[in-house]
Amino acid sequence: MSSSLVPIRLENITQRFRVIQERADTLRELFSKFFRHESHYHDFDAVKNVTFEVPHGQMLGLIGRNGSGKSTLLKIVAGVYRPTAGKVKVRGSLAPLIELGAGFHHELTGRENILLNGLLMGYSRRQMQEREERIVEFAEIGDFIDAPVKQYSSGMYMRLAFSVATEIDPDILLIDEILAVGDAPFQQKCFERIQSFRRAGKTIMFVTHSMNQIAQYCDRAILIDRGTIMADGRPDEVIPVYQSSMTPEVVGSH
Amino acid sequence: MIELVRETYRYRELIWALALKELKIRYKRSVLGFLWALLNPALLMLVLTLVFSTIMRFPIPHYPVFLLSVLLPWTFFSQSLSYAVESIVGNGDLIKKVKVAKLVFPMAAIVSNLINLGLSLIPLALLVPLLRHPFYWTWLYLPVPLLALTIFTLGMTFFFATANVYYRDVSHILQIVLSAWFYVTPIIYPLDFIPAKHQWIFKLNPIIYVINGFRLSVYYGMLPKASSIIASFVCAFISLFIGVAIFRKYQDDFVFYV
Repeated sequence: MSSSLVPIRLENITQRFRVIQERADTLRELFSKFFRHESHYHDFDAVKNVTFEVPHGQMLGLIGRNGSGKSTLLKIVAGVYRPTAGKVKVRGSLAPLIELGAGFHHELTGRENILLNGLLMGYSRRQMQEREERIVEFAEIGDFIDAPVKQYSSGMYMRLAFSVATEIDPDILLIDEILAVGDAPFQQKCFERIQSFRRAGKTIMFVTHSMNQIAQYCDRAILIDRGTIMADGRPDEVIPVYQSSMTPEVVGSH
Repeated sequence: MIELVRETYRYRELIWALALKELKIRYKRSVLGFLWALLNPALLMLVLTLVFSTIMRFPIPHYPVFLLSVLLPWTFFSQSLSYAVESIVGNGDLIKKVKVAKLVFPMAAIVSNLINLGLSLIPLALLVPLLRHPFYWTWLYLPVPLLALTIFTLGMTFFFATANVYYRDVSHILQIVLSAWFYVTPIIYPLDFIPAKHQWIFKLNPIIYVINGFRLSVYYGMLPKASSIIASFVCAFISLFIGVAIFRKYQDDFVFYV
């Protein structure tokens, strides 16, 4: 397969955030800062010059400490952030399972939210109507589907969100630490669904802190630290690097 | 500009769903629900009619019709802006989590207020014969000023929604601007009340031409002059061009500031 056809390709990606200590949120602050020639910010590169590609059908696990830049990378691929530098190429339809239920409105019913969420993800009303019954069935929330989602338990909420996000036919899945949703049987169902996506040859990017999940499901792992790639390879090669990098700190903090 | 039309068409279902959501939430938890969209302007009309036919008598026949013919479109304009100025910041959580075309939010605010305006025309149409004011065929002309007003409002909306992302004072300033603007626009009074030599100042107000179209067709039963129609569309498109240019320039950075 020619390299221009890989589903996900990141080239020299840098994502800079301006961290403002005292933000001029109002005009008064702006004026006073302007006249005192002050600026209280520093630039912080959450991702530094990162390059990699994910071939078709691969399940890639991203690992690293909190704040290492994993989720930022996922959001760049998802198109939420436009990177400060570098090129992102994403070929195919995306199902971002990043912030489940982000588009839900608590006053709307489950059914209304299914439609709104689908439209937000770029599907048409007709496509969502075709899928509605399957979504409701997978979420297992029964009659609650016609109640406002503010009456849902957090588990029901996540279940509905998960089924909306996956009851579509994406080419690429982006999964961020969300498989802790619901009770054990539902988690099992989620993993089965992810597995079926894998068998169907979908490309998957997966962020988690669970090394078991990485070892069990992923074909490849990338270790990120302070915005750069520290290791890239088979899970059984990368996981020990991560664990050895963690150990001193864990010991030190106790 | 072509891009704007294309994106609007592409996201039409989403814009529509968001607009309906906004209305649904606005009238939720009230016993009468959607009826309020009709009742609100109807009750306002009742109050105005009582006040202006008993307490304050203007030398203008059927003053409530005179007033409402432009007050309703003005309300659409000011409400759309008040809603839309917060539309990006208010949806910040969503923008930070989902890839979504930012223009759908101000658009949805406009659409929901357009629906409200449409509904408020129904009680107005009932009020006109009630006050024995003639029902003119020029009502049929209303879609033209409505189009100009929508384009004008859209441009202003894009501008203010963008500005509010960077400086949250904008939404407060907007309220003051709107109330001042209300009084310098011939809404509660006719332009003739202004001495002729000062009228040119009032004619610098970009919304005056479109407002004029509403009043002429509903109250006077006349069509505006061609020059006035052209002026209303020129103002509308200038507003849209500026608003869209600024919005497009900054929309990709909204995610870092909301």
